[in-house]
Amino acid sequence: MARNLMRFTGVGGQGVLLAGEIFAAAKIKSGGEGLKTATYTSQVRGGPTVVDITLDDEEIFYPYANDGEIDFMLSVAQVSYNSFKSGVTPGGTIVVDPNLVHPTDEDRKTWKIHEIPIITIAKEEVGNVITQSVVALAIANTMQNAIDRQVLVDTMLSKVPAKVHAANLKAYELGEKYAKEALAK
Amino acid sequence: MATREVISTGNELSALAARDAGCRFFGGYPITPSSEVMHEMSDLMPEVGGTCIQMEDEIAGVAAAIGAGMAGVRTMTATSGPGISLKAENLGLAQMAEVPLVVVNVMRGGPSTGLPTRVSQGDVAQAKNPSHGDYKSITLCAGSLAECYTETVRAFNLADRFMQPVFVLLDETIGHMHGKAMLPTEEEVANGIVPRKSFDGAPEDYRPYACEHDQPAVLNPMFKGYRYHFTGLHHDAKGFPTEEIETCRKLIQRLEDKVELHKDEIELNEEFFVDDAEILIIAYGSVSLAAKEAIRHLRAEGIKAGLFRPITLWPSPQDRMRELGAKIPKVLVVELNIGQYRDEVQRSTGRLDIDGLFKVNGRPISPYEIVNKVKEL
Repeated sequence: MARNLMRFTGVGGQGVLLAGEIFAAAKIKSGGEGLKTATYTSQVRGGPTVVDITLDDEEIFYPYANDGEIDFMLSVAQVSYNSFKSGVTPGGTIVVDPNLVHPTDEDRKTWKIHEIPIITIAKEEVGNVITQSVVALAIANTMQNAIDRQVLVDTMLSKVPAKVHAANLKAYELGEKYAKEALAK
Repeated sequence: MATREVISTGNELSALAARDAGCRFFGGYPITPSSEVMHEMSDLMPEVGGTCIQMEDEIAGVAAAIGAGMAGVRTMTATSGPGISLKAENLGLAQMAEVPLVVVNVMRGGPSTGLPTRVSQGDVAQAKNPSHGDYKSITLCAGSLAECYTETVRAFNLADRFMQPVFVLLDETIGHMHGKAMLPTEEEVANGIVPRKSFDGAPEDYRPYACEHDQPAVLNPMFKGYRYHFTGLHHDAKGFPTEEIETCRKLIQRLEDKVELHKDEIELNEEFFVDDAEILIIAYGSVSLAAKEAIRHLRAEGIKAGLFRPITLWPSPQDRMRELGAKIPKVLVVELNIGQYRDEVQRSTGRLDIDGLFKVNGRPISPYEIVNKVKEL
């Protein structure tokens, strides 16, 4: 596998960090290399947050995604979308929550943009807004095919409390379903 | 060497290392981007019968840690640059009274409160001389997740060997990055612990500061029947204040020489594609990761670049830098400050034509920036 660079962006407090840790850990468990870095502001909540995930079979040195090389970005906040979209390679994939992020027409020409209401899925279909990071995880992996599904799901479940396993599994399955639908469009 | 695989962050690995190296006291005050060291210690210390205490501020945090050191316990504090500024007075006290202590500094943008959540290497000069007066700093700098662990372990052993504070510099990037680290086993670390020296003769013969000219004080734990006086003033063999001319001179010269004359026990470097290098990059901490990635790109284009990475920043590896500087025509120092370590490279190599690539806006230096700079040289 060549290097896979993914970027999750949101605002502080949304929980985008966890998805990155799960990705990195799952890749390592599969025998590869995975690194997660996060950049955030000194605002406690509401500041733009970016999580870079680097997956590779070879040793990874530099832990951040180089701008222009990112294959996949997922964004659930307009401020972060605006700040970080330029890092995505032209023709790359961007998933946005259409209730929160509004790409320009120019953006739609530059990247493959999919609209999936991530927060609404977590809040209304799963019934727990915190599961949005798992919905995002499922979308990213379904679109990027980065990690063996079972390894990723097992890693995810190992990182959340047992009492919310069912909810997170549901969140994963919903994210996967919406991603497949978006790809089929 | 047996190893274990751990998936974690640099900050958490530093705390894990402290526990495995026998640290049983943490005194501190949380500050971004070092807070996770303390969070982790608050979980780990009670599990092994140790203590983690959040004090009322940074000053009290290091004071508590020094107190634990006086009581004979392996002890640590963790902070960021603004915290070191506050702790400086007490760090000087620990240098003067010769109390072993590990100080983890996860560097963020400065000066003052600076850029709390952003990466920097602006505390390199501060680590050399955090407080006034003459003494020799021992400062280690982790350049990978695994080294956040191994350098913290090494810091504890050096602190007990040299009886003084030892700095472990991380930076925001390496402290917070999350990935795989291959670590030595707990057993191996435990077997490597060399406890500090103690005096077991008659209490009336105890002279903690009456040591050889190049050796540290022998401080028995307080409250165990061996009395001595503890002070930041110039002091005599029993620790009592003195202004006697020769005693004062010998004391400060000894603080210098106990480190300076035993640098070989402290120095540690990594050389990456240096043997045939025509361009030498010098970088440390997280910047060295970008440099390694850059060297991969440069070598693929046929440009013979190599990396010299000091792991012990202070005392600096000046002999090796002089050798390399005499051999390799182009030398570039890459760091997240405006040349704090380049000064040392210039001094060590005796060359004023050492180039620099610096950044101080809280953002990392990317491999491509290094590639482009090297091509300009």
